[in-house]
Amino acid sequence: MSRKIIVSVLAFMMVAGFVTMNACKKIELVETTTADVNIVGWLDKQPDSFSLFRQILERTGTAPFLNAYGAYTCFAPVNSGVKAYLTKIGAASVDAADVNTLKDMVRLHLLEDTVYTSSFTDGKLPVVTMYGQFLVTSVANVGGASSYFINRQALVRNSNIRTGNGIIHVIDQVLTPATKTIAQQLEANANYSIFVQAMKETGYFDKLNVVDPNPANRWITVLAESNKALADSGFANYASLKAKYSKTGNPKLANDSLNMYVAYHITPGLKFLGDIITQSTHETQLPQEVISIKLIEQDVVINEDEFNGILEKGVRINRTASDNAATNGVWHEATGHYMVKYRKPTALFWDVSAFEEIKKLPAYYKKANYNFTRATEADNPIKDHYWGWGSLAGTNVLSYIYSTSGSITNYACNNDVNMLPLGLPSRPVWWEMKTPPVIKGKYKVWICYRAQKQSSSSNQLCQVEVNGVLMQRTMNFTENRPAGTDAELEAIGWKRYIENTTNVFAGRQVGVIEFKTTQQQTIRITPLVGTQNNNNLDMIHFIPIDENQILPRFRPDGSMIYF
Amino acid sequence: MRKAFIYLMGTVILAGSSSCNKYLELQPQDGIIKEEFWKTKEQVHASVIGIYSSMMEYSSGGYNSQGYIPSMAELFFVWGESRADNVATATASSFDDIALTTMNVQPTNVNANWRPFYRTINFCNTVLEKAPEVLTNDNTFTQRQLDIYMSEALTVRALMYFYLVRTFGDVPLKLDATLSDENITPIEKSTQSQVLDQIIADLKKAEALAVTSHGTAEQDKGRITRYTVNALLADVYLWTEKYTECVAECDKVINSGRFGLIRGATVNGPTIDYNDSWFTSLYADGNSNEGIFELQYSQQRLNPFFTIFSPTIPARRWVAAPDLMERVFSVDMTNPLNYDIRGDRASVSAATSTVWKYVGASPSALRTIDQSFAHWIFYRYADILLMKAEALNESGNGQGALNLVYQVRQRANALVSTDPTPSPSDKFAVQDFILDERAREFCFEGKRWFDVLRNAKRNKYARLSLMLNMIAQSVPSNMQQSAQAKAKDVNSHYMPIYLYELQTNKKLVQNPFYK
Repeated sequence: MSRKIIVSVLAFMMVAGFVTMNACKKIELVETTTADVNIVGWLDKQPDSFSLFRQILERTGTAPFLNAYGAYTCFAPVNSGVKAYLTKIGAASVDAADVNTLKDMVRLHLLEDTVYTSSFTDGKLPVVTMYGQFLVTSVANVGGASSYFINRQALVRNSNIRTGNGIIHVIDQVLTPATKTIAQQLEANANYSIFVQAMKETGYFDKLNVVDPNPANRWITVLAESNKALADSGFANYASLKAKYSKTGNPKLANDSLNMYVAYHITPGLKFLGDIITQSTHETQLPQEVISIKLIEQDVVINEDEFNGILEKGVRINRTASDNAATNGVWHEATGHYMVKYRKPTALFWDVSAFEEIKKLPAYYKKANYNFTRATEADNPIKDHYWGWGSLAGTNVLSYIYSTSGSITNYACNNDVNMLPLGLPSRPVWWEMKTPPVIKGKYKVWICYRAQKQSSSSNQLCQVEVNGVLMQRTMNFTENRPAGTDAELEAIGWKRYIENTTNVFAGRQVGVIEFKTTQQQTIRITPLVGTQNNNNLDMIHFIPIDENQILPRFRPDGSMIYF
Repeated sequence: MRKAFIYLMGTVILAGSSSCNKYLELQPQDGIIKEEFWKTKEQVHASVIGIYSSMMEYSSGGYNSQGYIPSMAELFFVWGESRADNVATATASSFDDIALTTMNVQPTNVNANWRPFYRTINFCNTVLEKAPEVLTNDNTFTQRQLDIYMSEALTVRALMYFYLVRTFGDVPLKLDATLSDENITPIEKSTQSQVLDQIIADLKKAEALAVTSHGTAEQDKGRITRYTVNALLADVYLWTEKYTECVAECDKVINSGRFGLIRGATVNGPTIDYNDSWFTSLYADGNSNEGIFELQYSQQRLNPFFTIFSPTIPARRWVAAPDLMERVFSVDMTNPLNYDIRGDRASVSAATSTVWKYVGASPSALRTIDQSFAHWIFYRYADILLMKAEALNESGNGQGALNLVYQVRQRANALVSTDPTPSPSDKFAVQDFILDERAREFCFEGKRWFDVLRNAKRNKYARLSLMLNMIAQSVPSNMQQSAQAKAKDVNSHYMPIYLYELQTNKKLVQNPFYK
């Protein structure tokens, strides 16, 4: 019995010992999910560099939300930059500065998203600042070392610092927002006096001098012509410009050419050069008129286009004098004078098989067949010819067919056609092409093909869409041209487009389209009924509705005949 | 009960006997440790061959994921081509690959991971440290045999460092073996010139020890010979702007009489006679008379290039630049029978923008995945000729340089339109010509970026414009200006140190451009 007691006493002591021993030790429980600091915490860790910016965050009441959950990008200016800024706004200390000015300044340094330097381009950041103005990025080389340059005001000293609620880019100067409108900035610059006068007299000055409260309508981009650019084109002063263009006597009228001239230099939206060159055409304030943009070597060039084989030289944008941000947009400098060109609608007789990619293969172009195979859906071997992926991989082949003797191409224009399998369930589901530039106007659209049936029962009924507009009539790659005179055929939407009279070469008028702008248009052929491989497309004609639709016809050597 | 007792005793005895055996031993039973290795010459041989096969190690981790470690051959290509103008990213390219083409490399970019290189360097260091011990253990192992193995390890190590120094600038110089965890110590970066000095010293040592032939063609192209050392030395001298030495090394290879150019095209009056087997023997089969040092991929050891380049898979990563044919090789629009044999269907398949060199089984047929063993060619005879040309031009012998360039052009039937006919006395024009010729000759062979960088940095970056012009070509239009401004900072020409390395080796300092 006594032994039992001893055992239990011992056991009790041991248990008690364990408990007391545990009690001496502090159990450390991790209650946070991460040890990362937030943006404010990171700034706090380096008071030497950021104490002033930190004070500003405190004074403007921004610190609490920057220390809470979220995803921000903060451009944090170092103390020396803040000091320079305070001197500039005439404040002795952070506390002496106007709190609203400081609030605006902080907002310009914050984005409500995480933006790493990898998304910095030659243009604006993808996300607008909390102030409402975009920041523009570039890279500057100072003394051999390159750094990101924000808003052409501050160099990035340290980038992509990750914190718990966003990222920090350390900058050496404070960013200040643009305070003037495009109109005011241009007016302040004597180099643009002629252009500014034109803006004033046409009424655009006032339109460019307001900041629309609705961000969707606020932004405008202006391509201003400097006095020198105008002088080079023979306009020494405003009077000569007005004399040349203003024919109605009232430049405020929309149909006055001077008004059109200014309108043609304004495009809606905020477009820094880095943004401009990502698109080939841009709308202007002049209804239905676009400017085209090309990047040639390093130059951004306006309106350098080829029409009917003739290259029209464009106007270069002065890169160093451009990308000037204003409160309501951005303006650039054009180094030459340019004006919208009024072109009469002109027929386009497009030989679809003369595309760049085949021309680069001299062993095949106008010599032999060549297959452009899309091995996978992601491939795009021909820039201007594309098709909806056919589930049977082997049918995703656009064949360039050439022969002077073979019955498929012996009478075709240039002896060549493009052949693409089409049709559900397994062949490509549509065939889309980008035309060469077509001048705006109303056109009849003719699909010219060499009819062929893969087997006697084949059928390939297709619909055609031009710029997404469904054409009024269908066409069928297996259908021969009916018999009849030219006039009879035209009445029912057919024509003989080649010199030879064989009825397997057929031109089918699928409808009428009005092009609103002069540019590369898109045409898409979608199979409706049937499926086969041998869809031989030779040409597509866009002929203005008031012109002869039958002539010219085409010879196998590509030349035109008018009988 | 008695039965149970017997069983119990039996179990106890069994357990006891096994514990006597190896129960307490600390040495691994399923492997071999260094105390037991390094005993015979066969083991040395295996280790040296292991160095070569370590260069053919596969990648690990999923492509496009953070943990991806590219294979070494992949990095040869990526470091040498991705930032230059001959390649473009394809639809499946990873974010990190695209960042290279836009000059947006971050320290987290997996392509900045040098691990495969230091891994091979450690194999070399191990052989250099342990192989001499075998002389005392194995009486059949001769000093001459040891010398040959040492030359191989020294040269491969030099080659690795040469890649590192051209890609990263300053790198840690580790010359002793890491045999166990005890050897792991953080080390600082050495400067570019320190590393290059070490490379040259190692190569000179290796040259004296190396053989001229291992006996078979396969071994001669796949293992280090004295000519490999000469070729590499020539390249290093060219990089370090020592032109007389470079010419001397090139001459050693040229005068050996063991190498030549594989005939590509011969002009026969009005017609041109093309060698149909040129592509197959030089690239598809490999180990040709022109090759000096090639990574010996085989059906047993496939290269990583099928998934990177083949147009037959949906996820290829790199394609040829869309304007490669016109800009680099040019096309004779009037006569299709007059073409540069190195262009369409040799370097590139123009119609599909495919990098053809590694996926073509012949000029017309693609390889299948199980046939993807095109060699990676480090050096070949044409390289020797063009390196010599470059060195001659720098030392004032423009005519001598041009003669060599025309020798290389002739064999390929380079088109007249790519011949600017520079005056021999116009040094810059000849430089441009050689650089352009190298772009044609070594298209996709992992040399373009280093070629442009070498020419740009010569004489304290006298020709930085070469680099800027290339970037204007290759970077997407919306980042072109930024990329050019970045390239004006010469530190940007070298990759950042991979973040993981910075975290594990606290003595490393990041390249200042990537602050």
